[in-house]
Amino acid sequence: MALPQRSIGKSRHRMVLLALTAITLLSLDLSSFGPLGTAQRFVRDVLDPVTDVAGAIASPFSNAWNAIFDYDDLEAERDALQLELDELRGDAMEVESEREAFRALLAATSIDYIDDLETATATVIRGAVGNFDSDVITIDKGANAGIQPGMAVVTGAGLVGRVERADGATATVQLLSDSSLVVGVRITSTNEVGIGSTIDGDATVFQVTQGLEWPDENDPRPLPEIGTVVVTAASSRYPAGIPLGRIDAVYPNPDDPLSMFVDVALSNDVTDLEFVTVLLAEGIDQIPLSEPVPSTTTLPATEPTGDGATGEGG
Amino acid sequence: MATWMRLGAVFLGALLVQLTVFVDVRIFGVAPELLSLVAVTAGFFVGPERGPVIAFAAGLMWDIYLPTPLGVSAFTFAVVAFAVGSLNEGLFHETRSQLVAVCGLASGAAVIGYALLGSIVGESGLIGTDMVVVALLVGAINAVLAPLVAPLMVWALSAEPQR
Repeated sequence: MALPQRSIGKSRHRMVLLALTAITLLSLDLSSFGPLGTAQRFVRDVLDPVTDVAGAIASPFSNAWNAIFDYDDLEAERDALQLELDELRGDAMEVESEREAFRALLAATSIDYIDDLETATATVIRGAVGNFDSDVITIDKGANAGIQPGMAVVTGAGLVGRVERADGATATVQLLSDSSLVVGVRITSTNEVGIGSTIDGDATVFQVTQGLEWPDENDPRPLPEIGTVVVTAASSRYPAGIPLGRIDAVYPNPDDPLSMFVDVALSNDVTDLEFVTVLLAEGIDQIPLSEPVPSTTTLPATEPTGDGATGEGG
Repeated sequence: MATWMRLGAVFLGALLVQLTVFVDVRIFGVAPELLSLVAVTAGFFVGPERGPVIAFAAGLMWDIYLPTPLGVSAFTFAVVAFAVGSLNEGLFHETRSQLVAVCGLASGAAVIGYALLGSIVGESGLIGTDMVVVALLVGAINAVLAPLVAPLMVWALSAEPQR
């Protein structure tokens, strides 16, 4: 059955109006038009209690699904944990010794990032809601608890991400596994500062790609040692001194032999988080990775820590 | 109950199921897209005149929870509903197998449209092999779910004037 000409014209007219509406909304949202963000927050806050109730009702079904279809994964995880536990029991003394060494290293580098800051501990209430946002989690604390966009989110092992959006009772966290999240870091052994992000498709490795210089033959400076702790820099958008992990590899930039790449094995598994802590210190806006960074920025050894994110580095 | 209230109830139900059940229940890591399915069925049942408006509203509701800017899903769903409504009225008869096929294809197309439009407005990581896999899986899952969602949409749209 063919459509009457009048109906076709009307439907096309409506589509044009919808397209114009969408373009207007996109433009306003991209330019961070305040009332639009407020309206979205309002809707999410209103629906939040309903979502909680629906989540409680749906949880037996979700749990049953996970029990059935993730059973093999759980079994493998249990076996891995058992193996790990056995190793830990066998090497208890060694572990204790390493812990002492780590404490000493923390003391030496003044890594006391949580002690001086107000924090809010939150539970992860859900992971990604869509199919393209796997590097996002939602936590059960929001603006009512003092959380604001840009604040650093950590666990006891270090940085896991930043607050992307804060509603009244919940907040959305962009995880470090998102390669578009750039962080300014400091190598604790050399005090060199660089900028990096995780690698696409690998949430366990953070790669410092800007700001570090590969020493030439006559340069007496040593390369950063494997295993060195890497922390957020004072010029970072986050409070200084938050651990990210330990150096796993150091090599020259394949495209520019004068600069250095450093791979850092992240100390957190950001794909499996249940509780996180938000550092209630103001963050600043995201800085694009393409922003130029002075090469081989070196901080003085007496760098202050825990002073909030006020710099303009990465 | 007025049509808009019924549609609101269906939208809310779909959103809540999406935000609670399908956060965990995923097939090969991919979740069904219920609001996309609602949008496609709207185009299927009420045609290109009203279908895109309903689809736009469903997309707007979904956009509020997605990291992409407001309007990306809304516009994508409206275009897909318009295409479904136009093709469906001009070419086919309404049968269950047709509903399943149209919902599968259109849901997959909506995923690709969302990724393309999202990339245009500056979101990274949307276009790639993952997009194709997600589109295929969402299409397949939504096709399976279509016979369950269709009666709800028929109920919600029952006060709509026939096209």
